[in-house]
Amino acid sequence: MARESSLITIIGEDGYARIRQTKCLLVGAGGIGSELLKDLILMEFGEIHIVDLDTIDLSNLNRQFLFRQRDIKQPKSTTAVKAVQSFSNSKLVPYQGNIMDTTQFPLHWFKQFNIIFNALDNLAARRYVNKISQFLSLPLLESGTAGFDGYIQPIFPQKTECFDCTKKETPKTFPVCTIRSTPSQPIHCIVWAKNFLFNQLFTDEDNKSDDEENKEWGTTDETEIKRIKQETNELKSLQKIILDKDFDRIPYILQKLFIDDIAKLLLIENLWKNRVKPLLLDESIIKNNCHDAKEKISSNKVWDINYIIQNFVAATKKLSQRMEREGSHIEFDKDDEDTLMFVAMAANIRAYIFHIPMKSVFDIKQIAGNIIPAIATTNAIIAGLSAITSLRVLNLLDKFASLNDVTKLNMAFTAMASNMTTNRYLSNPQVAPPNCKCPVCVQVVRGVVQTSEKLNASTTLKDLISLLKTKYGYQENDDVSILDIKDQRLLFDFDFDDLNDQTLEDLKFINGTIILLSDDSDNDLIKKPVELYFNINNNVDKIVLPDLHIPVIEQKIPQDNNEENEVLTVAENGEIDQDVYIIDGDESVSTVDNNDKKRPREKEDLEEIIQIAKAPKTS
Amino acid sequence: MNATKNNPAKQTLGEDEIALYDRQIRLWGLEAQTNIRSARVLLINVGAIGTEITKNIVLSGVGHFSILDNNHVVTEEDLGSQFFLTSADVGKPRIDTIKDKIVDLNPRVNFSIETDTFENLISKNNSNYDIVIGTELTKDQIIQLNWWTRSNNTPLYVAGSNGLFGYIFVDLIQFDSRDKKLQSIKQSALGSISPNKEIVSLEVTIDPEEPKKIYENLVTKNKYVPFEKLLCTATLEGKLTKRQLKRVSPILPLTLTYLKDTNMVSSNVSLFREELENTCEQLRIDPNLILKPEYVEQFIKQNGVEFSPVAAVLGGAVSQDVINILGKKQQPLNNFIIFDGVTLDMPIFEF
Repeated sequence: MARESSLITIIGEDGYARIRQTKCLLVGAGGIGSELLKDLILMEFGEIHIVDLDTIDLSNLNRQFLFRQRDIKQPKSTTAVKAVQSFSNSKLVPYQGNIMDTTQFPLHWFKQFNIIFNALDNLAARRYVNKISQFLSLPLLESGTAGFDGYIQPIFPQKTECFDCTKKETPKTFPVCTIRSTPSQPIHCIVWAKNFLFNQLFTDEDNKSDDEENKEWGTTDETEIKRIKQETNELKSLQKIILDKDFDRIPYILQKLFIDDIAKLLLIENLWKNRVKPLLLDESIIKNNCHDAKEKISSNKVWDINYIIQNFVAATKKLSQRMEREGSHIEFDKDDEDTLMFVAMAANIRAYIFHIPMKSVFDIKQIAGNIIPAIATTNAIIAGLSAITSLRVLNLLDKFASLNDVTKLNMAFTAMASNMTTNRYLSNPQVAPPNCKCPVCVQVVRGVVQTSEKLNASTTLKDLISLLKTKYGYQENDDVSILDIKDQRLLFDFDFDDLNDQTLEDLKFINGTIILLSDDSDNDLIKKPVELYFNINNNVDKIVLPDLHIPVIEQKIPQDNNEENEVLTVAENGEIDQDVYIIDGDESVSTVDNNDKKRPREKEDLEEIIQIAKAPKTS
Repeated sequence: MNATKNNPAKQTLGEDEIALYDRQIRLWGLEAQTNIRSARVLLINVGAIGTEITKNIVLSGVGHFSILDNNHVVTEEDLGSQFFLTSADVGKPRIDTIKDKIVDLNPRVNFSIETDTFENLISKNNSNYDIVIGTELTKDQIIQLNWWTRSNNTPLYVAGSNGLFGYIFVDLIQFDSRDKKLQSIKQSALGSISPNKEIVSLEVTIDPEEPKKIYENLVTKNKYVPFEKLLCTATLEGKLTKRQLKRVSPILPLTLTYLKDTNMVSSNVSLFREELENTCEQLRIDPNLILKPEYVEQFIKQNGVEFSPVAAVLGGAVSQDVINILGKKQQPLNNFIIFDGVTLDMPIFEF
């Protein structure tokens, strides 16, 4: 029997012919991507295009099975394609690039595909590809893993929930005073060392303490706020020691940070009414440890304070020596040993004087570098589920599981591994219809504008607004606003017309610029917002706006505080909300909280889910 | 069971290993990684699921990995679901063509080919392995293998698939799993929690960093039954509610019937259909309600078909559980799992 005989048994001769004609886009060649590439090849997809920005790192090799030690620093996309040639029967096209780069991947480039597989590791790119799938009505298979946890979600634009129909958790932030004055957990000390201290000493951003301008202080104590601001200014003066390579004065940095500044902090008595006061670091500890460390202790152990001071001094020296070469600006990078060591040591000294447990360098690396654990098995399972589900999405199981109704499709997540239940390895709820409040797939109308570079150079914003108003049924005096979505930049509204005489070229309209046109009138009924993608097409001789049907909707009054009550009410009515842990194998992503996820379930499922809600995950 | 029974003293991991396995050590810890490195695992048959298991377990950094492949010769059909193979390998002994690729995947793992035949191996009085995994076995082979693993006190995993459908059978004989979980409103208590599980030790600790977090440290005793007994005694009576009984996956009776005689589907379909009714009775489910005709047809049609993504799911689940019991993390599977690739249903049954 032939290579494809097994596949033909499952999807039939005509199904096989169809899959050979199918072109798919695989976004990501990392943990899930490596696995998916293998699965899609063995499923005999005709053409697979693979996009990945990254190069291979040692820490990928525990799971990204297409890569070897010898491939480190090579691009993932091209290396993966080389590795699979031996068993591939598909046309494979690798790209090293960022999927959000509209020059490399303009909207019309996506049009060639029949289906998109997301195998991404970050929220921004997931959201972007989700939006592209909405623009082009392309089915999308979304997936993610974090440690033992993983999920897949098939998305049919306009017919099923999109990626943004459920709320995603944004990274946790802390009030300024917790970080700067009253830390109580190791993470507070790490954030202080990485985001505040390191930046003050090793970056050239001149007092750009953004945390003091727009952030929540967490206190109304004027003395404390004043102290924090003053401290920031004083720290900049410590940078001179670094820039001058004045190694004899490194002990002074320790003295200032962990004795003088703490002494000032202790003077604000209000802070210590209900808290344990911090210690002042013993001067003799500083004095006795200004030499290089003699031994090497494992990075998995929590070090002793003397050894920590020795390593703090050593890391400060190393960074200080690098400053001149690197333009007086070094960014924190978890894989840059010197920066990691500085941050880990500073965080630990701060923890020490605040009576907070210290941590090993290994643990601090994870927190400071947002490292998410990642394993081969979860990725293999999730990629397998994504690949299997594509058969139904493409209606290749039409002989016995025909896709008459796309909301009959199942999503899946690792229920047992995520400690949600013991009687199911996977939970497989059916996908929900679009969330009526979703700002991405429901509350907006989409279209593509055809324009050219020449037209952009000759058309002013004012001209464009007038074109838009005429085309989409606005009166000349109606209030509208225009937002550049990518940069979140306001271009025009009723009291901002400063840019009106600039041309689209001046305003940096490029291929892939997306604007949002909103009805800003104060009527009860308004026109639905319109999102427009600008496609540079040098064959057009006038700007062509798409024909769109724009419904009239009720003006929403924002009510932020209702969210919680609403979820509870819904839950009582037999619908559920659940936490789905998300996202990939690599770094820099937070877990996602599907707070809004509500879909009708049967009663016993509901009971099970309520159990889950009461029994949070173990760590 | 006694994992890593054959091994010399454990050595601590080197910095280079810690760097390589960084992303998983952050999940299961150094001690678990050290346990994994001192384990010896045997895989029987390296078909589609076996290939996935090989990849996952070799990547994880197991100490010793061995394959017994029963002199399988590569076929054209194998190329459609086994990524170690290329068309040049057709007609050659499979294990010989893939061994270098397995070593290349992770040179730190000691890889060897088990040269004994299956029959020889299971007639031996002892075992060199801490864990045995069998894939694509016949009913008789599973029974014989299970007798052997039981007599050697070795944990056994068995997995197989028919096209979009598959199963996992687990026999750890007896296994005490250790768990640390946040205390919920429904607090754990000593005693039986399900037919095969009993909490035998419970200790409550408080997170020193966040005193509001109270943890339960549990030891759960997992009991298992041998494969042969499971086939005869598997029932859902008293295990599921009436409503749940109506929603049991048709893949459960289909798979159990298939396992009662793995040759029957191809040799005598009408007998298979008859036996299917008997299995439903044994399980205490209504065949008219559960056995959707299109499922029965597809199961019969897809008999013996290997499909890569299904193998990835089953191989992933088996490998993860092997790693979990070696590292003594997470609850082990107990004891029969089926997978339906149409609905992604993957229930776990305690038989």
